[in-house]
Amino acid sequence: MFATLVLKELKNILLSPKFTAIFAVSALLMLLSVFVGIREYQSAVRQYAAANELVQQEMREARQWMSVNNRIYREPDPLQIFVSGVQNDIGRYSSISTWQPVKLIHSAYSDDPIFAVFRFIDFAFIVQVVLTLFAILFTYDAINGEREQGTLQLVFSNAVPRAQYVAAKFIGLWSGLIIPLTLPVLLSLLLIFVYRIPMSPEHWSRVGTLLGSSVLLFTFFIAFGIMVSALTKRSNVSFLIALVSWVGLVLIVPRAGVMLAGQMVKVPTVAEVESQQDGYTKNRWDELSKTMQVRWRGREQLLQGLDEAGRKAKREELEWTWAEEDAIDRKQVQVDINENSRKLNEELRNRKRVQEKLAFSISRVSPVSAYQLAVMNLAETDINVKGRYEDALNVYRTSFNKFKDKKAKESGNSGGLRISFDSNTGIKIDAGREMALDLTDVPKFEAARASFGEVVASVIPDAGILGLFCLAAFAAAFIAFLRYDVR
Amino acid sequence: MEQQVMFEAANLSKRYEDGVLALDDVSFTVRRGEIYAMLGANGAGKTTAINIFLNFIEPSGGEARVDGIATHRNPLEAKQRIAYVSENVMLYQNFTALQNLDFFAKLGGKTQYTKSDYRDVLMRVGLQEEAHTKRLKGFSKGMRQKSGIAIAILKDAPAILLDEPTSGLDPQAAYEFQRLLESLRNEGKAILMSTHDIFRAKEAADTIGIMNRGKLVMQKSAKELAGEDLEKLYMQYMAGHVN
Amino acid sequence: MFKLIVEKELKDIISSTKFAVTFGVCSILIVLSFYVGARNYQIGREQYDAAKRENARKMEGLTEWTDVREHRIFLPPQPTASLVMGISNDIGRNAEVRGRGELNPEDSRYGEDPIYAVFRFLDLDFIFQIILSLFAILFAYDAINGEKERGTLRLTFANAIPRSTYILGKMSGSFLALAVPLLIPMLLGSLILVMLQIPMQGDDWIRLFLVIVAGFLYFGSFLALSLFVSARTERSSNSFLILLVAWILSVMVVPRTAVLLAGRAVDVPSVDEIASKKSRLSASLWQEDRKKMADFKAPEGTQMKDLMQEFQKFMSKMGDEREAKMQEFSSRLNEERANKQRVQERVAFGLARVSPSATFSLASATIAGTGTQLKQEYKSSGEQYQKAFAEFMKGKTGMNMGGAMVFRMITDDNQAKKKPINISEIPEYQFQRQPVSASFGLIAVDLGVLALFNILFFVGAFVSFLRYDLR
Repeated sequence: MFATLVLKELKNILLSPKFTAIFAVSALLMLLSVFVGIREYQSAVRQYAAANELVQQEMREARQWMSVNNRIYREPDPLQIFVSGVQNDIGRYSSISTWQPVKLIHSAYSDDPIFAVFRFIDFAFIVQVVLTLFAILFTYDAINGEREQGTLQLVFSNAVPRAQYVAAKFIGLWSGLIIPLTLPVLLSLLLIFVYRIPMSPEHWSRVGTLLGSSVLLFTFFIAFGIMVSALTKRSNVSFLIALVSWVGLVLIVPRAGVMLAGQMVKVPTVAEVESQQDGYTKNRWDELSKTMQVRWRGREQLLQGLDEAGRKAKREELEWTWAEEDAIDRKQVQVDINENSRKLNEELRNRKRVQEKLAFSISRVSPVSAYQLAVMNLAETDINVKGRYEDALNVYRTSFNKFKDKKAKESGNSGGLRISFDSNTGIKIDAGREMALDLTDVPKFEAARASFGEVVASVIPDAGILGLFCLAAFAAAFIAFLRYDVR
Repeated sequence: MEQQVMFEAANLSKRYEDGVLALDDVSFTVRRGEIYAMLGANGAGKTTAINIFLNFIEPSGGEARVDGIATHRNPLEAKQRIAYVSENVMLYQNFTALQNLDFFAKLGGKTQYTKSDYRDVLMRVGLQEEAHTKRLKGFSKGMRQKSGIAIAILKDAPAILLDEPTSGLDPQAAYEFQRLLESLRNEGKAILMSTHDIFRAKEAADTIGIMNRGKLVMQKSAKELAGEDLEKLYMQYMAGHVN
Repeated sequence: MFKLIVEKELKDIISSTKFAVTFGVCSILIVLSFYVGARNYQIGREQYDAAKRENARKMEGLTEWTDVREHRIFLPPQPTASLVMGISNDIGRNAEVRGRGELNPEDSRYGEDPIYAVFRFLDLDFIFQIILSLFAILFAYDAINGEKERGTLRLTFANAIPRSTYILGKMSGSFLALAVPLLIPMLLGSLILVMLQIPMQGDDWIRLFLVIVAGFLYFGSFLALSLFVSARTERSSNSFLILLVAWILSVMVVPRTAVLLAGRAVDVPSVDEIASKKSRLSASLWQEDRKKMADFKAPEGTQMKDLMQEFQKFMSKMGDEREAKMQEFSSRLNEERANKQRVQERVAFGLARVSPSATFSLASATIAGTGTQLKQEYKSSGEQYQKAFAEFMKGKTGMNMGGAMVFRMITDDNQAKKKPINISEIPEYQFQRQPVSASFGLIAVDLGVLALFNILFFVGAFVSFLRYDLR
């Protein structure tokens, strides 16, 4: 009996003209999104390689260690083919230098706003918008449509338990919609092979989890459609309710959560914070300047009373000590500035975290938000990628600067300008030696990547939410149908 | 020998939530090999009675039994013994007649039928062969009605319930339908049908009951009605001139 | 007869539950988008003022104009940008002004707060493009074939009514019943802007009005399309499906595909390539100048106290020459890139205009001043300000900014404490948005295309209905 009902449901879907059109469109969009994602990924990889080569070239052309500056670009990841997330909204690279703090700048969209006008559609978008809409289209009249047709009465003139019927309805619809869609999914994955996208086993595991989450979201909307159908007598009413609900769940609630949180939790802008940082920097350098004033006055006093030769000898004797002394203080200033910057940024991040927590909690009223957050975490194109990268870049900056200092000391070529004023000799400028720099052991940047375990752990809450939504929708459909008037 | 009672309404009453008394202490029986026609105006209670036999609604009082099984107590068991043809047979529009028969036959617990069996039944009900593999979308009302009765035949249930089976059928189709019912009756089926068609009722039914405002106001056998003007009698009962 | 059809259509739609529900939802969303836009503007304004204050505060206490560095300018929030966001959240909002060199706006809203990039904003563009177009389909997908299915079409044409009158009445009635009531939440929304004291100038009101006009034209195009498809199909379930597919193509596929195709067809040099060229030229110019610095000799007889000044003059001259070379090189590269970008945009948006959704989106962004031209406008106005700022600073310091080096002199403690500089003298940056009239040409094109869609689809519906099988 159960198998009969399920098979009937399957056949009914597969034979309906609605199915052919919808399946064709879904399949086309899925393939298109993955194809476009692949092309964009390849283009990003080329751009990344070219940019790195340019950086290497610039470094090779530098002649003093002080003028060696690095730029670290965010490496493209194959998973952005499926979920672009905020990939194109955050900066693509950061400068690594002694004086400038780490900051990801020049996002893809800010460099080329043309791509921001319509934005990219990725696989996740197709699932969230197109497939969920189609799930609704197939299920809004699952129960009341049969009632209107008269087939529900006919079915229940037989010894069919209601529980079995609704369970079979759900499974039949689910199979009839999901199974055919595996074909375009498989074709999309085949494209990955055809275009030789370098995917590790971990990548594939993440893709698998992404597909699992997509199935969960799709399942929810199937159950939801059946639920609405079982709660209404007429299919035109359930259609309206289902469509309005779809608009709310897919398009409105996710946005509303973020906007509400933005209104409730105030976060200072980066501009404000940077100006605070500038102010601190200025004050700190002023302090150093005063200290240096006092120190140099002392040094001048040391040289007083000596003749020309004596002053020269004394100066030469103490030059190195003085230079080291000054360098230590300058370094300390830089350390203090960096520490202040770190504190300010941490405060800013904490504020943002509060805002984000609130925003996503509200948004998670819709399973679509839970899905979007889950898949972004899987693809590591979530909002935390900026923080993760900047943390790793800060660590790298320290080791890179240490490397530069060490090399400068070893070669005796810091690259700095040494300007000395003397009432007798006037102004003396030492621009330093020019030499080819040995860049063979420049530290390599390692992007901080979360392990698969860590990523799955971060995805579990959202996957759990999706699962709960599915259960709740099906339970509601089940209960509604047990009391449904089949006449 | 008296045949087994298949349909039995025992003091059946139904009051809806809005207070309307749709059935008021109605009692009748339908035995194997008998066609019982329930006549009555719209809202007389005919469909309510049918819905109670099908356990779509529960009685407020009394019992509806199928083969001695109370439908509201053991609905699934009772339904195993009933085949139903609704007033407007829609079936699954994307399926062919054969596919619809296959599904409903299996639903009725009959899994042994072959395609050839389905075709035979469709021929028996008068549906031409070309239509067997066509989707129901393009069927006329008569063709759908025939498909509906074919489903009932396939179930091979001892009791058949029909809700206004000839409404909307042309005289030819109605006649063919009548002949089919008679052949089923002769096979020993108990047939309970609600209808407006006084003519067909007189032609085919063994017993005629007239419902008016929830009450069974008249029940007579075909023999008893032999010389009478059923239409005139019906009008009189509807007007309340006869009790 | 025409009036009768229009009245019937009006009554039929307005008395339906479908209308009550969808109108309710649309109204709430429209009013919400105005409210959220207004609040966003207020928050943006607060942030802008705070950033400006902070920028000024860090310069407080400075005693030398030569110590003035890291002066920032900020893109002020615009009221209409809060209603139609366009790309305003994708471009950098603040830029460092150094008196020389290129201006590079940084810190876009989405870059700074990626949380908003996850789900993006609810603005008028979104409401019209996505929600209202869906609802146009919902109401009109069964305008013709639905009446056929219900049997009322046959009944209507059992009377002496010309088909042309009927279809015209259908279109007019549907539009009146659906579009006109939407003016109510639009007006309410506008009232919210006034109540929340959003500083809308005359130009802003004109922009808002034009966005609404574009929105209604867009809505009308989907209404006409739905009527067209309904008049071409027998069954309403089929017409709904076709329209949904058309909606997906129009809203999601065509615009993006157009941009991607243009991206492939027109090669624009990457930002990295250009930045690298500039960086390498700058490095090599610096290297040359370092050699010149080492060879610096003050003129004979220069006093110690004047030595510094001479050196500063020397450094300043070198800096100016270096700047001029960089400027020339950068301008050339930037111009080449900008030209290529313009070509790419023309191709992309030209192709995209096949879709009414893309046309509307482009129109609304242009009208609101948040189209792709915004980045260039901000940059140009910033560069003009930089010139004015450089002139001001030259007047105060006697030299061009950035060329000279700042020396901290060790002086006698007994010297009198210097007075802080008056930072309010620094010229204030004012972002002058182009008036809407400057974009009338482009706006007219987009509105024209939308009107054309309306006409095309309606003519399609008209012709199809003349031959429609009423049975």
